[in-house]
Amino acid sequence: MLYINNLTKNYGSFTAVNQLSLHIPAGDLFGFVGPNGAGKTTTIRIICGLLRASSGSVRIGGTTAAVGSKEMKRMIGYVPDFFGVYDNLRVREYMDMYGSMYGMYSRDIARLTDDLLQLVNLSDKKEVYVDTLSRGMKQRLCVARALLHNPSLLILDEPSSGLDPRARVEMKELLKNLHSMGKTIVISSHILSELSEMCNSIGIMNHGQLITAGRIEDIMQQLSGGKRIHIQVASGMENAVRIIKEQAGVRIESVRENEIVILFGGADEQISALIGYMLQNQVVLTGFYREEGSLESLFMQLTGGDAQ
Amino acid sequence: MRLKWNPIVKKDLQVTARSMRLSWGLFAYEAVLTMTFLMALSMIQRAGSSYYSTSNVYSRLIYLFPALCVAQVCIVALIVPIITASAISGEKERQTFDIMLTTCMSPFSIVLGKVMSAVLRILFFVAAGMPIMALAFVVGGLSWSYLLYFVLTIILLSLLSGSIGILCSALCRRSITAVILSYAFYFVVYILTFFPMVIRLFITQGDNGGESLLFLLFNPIIFYEEFFMQLMSGESLFGGEAFRFSLDEVGFVTYHLAHGKVWMFVSAGCIFLLSVLLLLAAAWKVNPMHSSSGRKRKKG
Repeated sequence: MLYINNLTKNYGSFTAVNQLSLHIPAGDLFGFVGPNGAGKTTTIRIICGLLRASSGSVRIGGTTAAVGSKEMKRMIGYVPDFFGVYDNLRVREYMDMYGSMYGMYSRDIARLTDDLLQLVNLSDKKEVYVDTLSRGMKQRLCVARALLHNPSLLILDEPSSGLDPRARVEMKELLKNLHSMGKTIVISSHILSELSEMCNSIGIMNHGQLITAGRIEDIMQQLSGGKRIHIQVASGMENAVRIIKEQAGVRIESVRENEIVILFGGADEQISALIGYMLQNQVVLTGFYREEGSLESLFMQLTGGDAQ
Repeated sequence: MRLKWNPIVKKDLQVTARSMRLSWGLFAYEAVLTMTFLMALSMIQRAGSSYYSTSNVYSRLIYLFPALCVAQVCIVALIVPIITASAISGEKERQTFDIMLTTCMSPFSIVLGKVMSAVLRILFFVAAGMPIMALAFVVGGLSWSYLLYFVLTIILLSLLSGSIGILCSALCRRSITAVILSYAFYFVVYILTFFPMVIRLFITQGDNGGESLLFLLFNPIIFYEEFFMQLMSGESLFGGEAFRFSLDEVGFVTYHLAHGKVWMFVSAGCIFLLSVLLLLAAAWKVNPMHSSSGRKRKKG
């Protein structure tokens, strides 16, 4: 869906984005993570045609449209971190104005406005002045506005910044909902726990460079050298340790009184075979789970502990 | 064919129409026009009330029209930059401009929409001032077509003032800076266009202005002076009986333009061209793809 190739942005001698290459497949909910000044917003602004790149290219879908062209703009829905409002403009008129800016007909805008306001749970606010909405409502309205022209790619720059916990949850649910509808979404956020719950893939940026990108589990696995699995043993501990040691691709990380922690790099089928083999060899297991790595720890590890 | 409103014009008019500022603006505009009318009327009556005066006071009432027109021109020239100088910078301050740029509207459509909404707002004022303007017509001697010509010149002036305002708005991040810069730009258009002529007259010790007068084609003051001279006396400023300028004094082009009575139309064309150039410059400035490096935002 989104192909970024060797993207670089310089501000004089300062390089905000350095040789960034990235591919985000269609239907992904991609999270852009990085400390302040990492280059996330710059990258997003270049993709949206709000900033000219010093070098490199951005492509969406199969088109060769240039960044900033009408064709490209039609494929992107952009939600900035701050929602600016016009005094004396109703929600319906706000949607109508932006629909018109995409060259849509008024009757189509009216129909889509109803659907989208329902989607973002603002149906009852259609005739309300935009500046009277709460920040969370404004942000959801902004998402509805960005979806009006049915873009293939939705880009949100820190959509939850400044929102209260309830509004954050609502925004998260809305984005999950859009993801389930098959929309490709790119989110830049500082709230890592939220991203780890929503996103299926992430890109971690630091000092203008993309450190890593891909599925969260894959990155975790890469970094830890495998999946970390906790096996709780009631009896037959010696047997269990022996069996594990015999297995290729499995490394024992720690052995406690009733628990063995292993690092396993193989497929899920292999781990179930290993468990089955243990049970056949009189090892009594009381528990077995895979440790979920946190995005926070991953982020700190990759960015060298840079504070967000 | 489907005729579509520029969405920015529609939005701006919607927002303005609901604002109290429009009501207060109209009130102030009407008040200034009424005061101008009363002052002009009083001056005309005083001038014609001399015991020995042979002229009829009614024949002088014809001058109410240019007096009201000049008042309107001054108001328009003063308020349009205030409206347009905050047009782009105001969107930037509200942080709505980025969203606008991500839509399918071209930067030129955006700046044109902003200027057109300013021109339309000025036309609200002009329309509201019509009843007072109509008082100048009750004594006769003036054609109603003059009013139409005047409205056309107001549109032209609004376009020029709006283009100056919008360019300054595109150049500045803050509305107040844009307003100040607009008035500085006014100084260039209204005053500095006299400078080549002044320098030439100084060099030739007052003998002739030559082709330096061509700079005045861009000057709205001279345009309106020519407009009222043509309207009231049918003569041209540089080619009329009153001044009897020679070819050497005003230069070849001005002499022929004035004698052909097309100076005003050429001046209108020049002002229009200048407005379009200013709009193109504003569109170029707001287009992020033309900005050389942009400004680094503080966020990630």
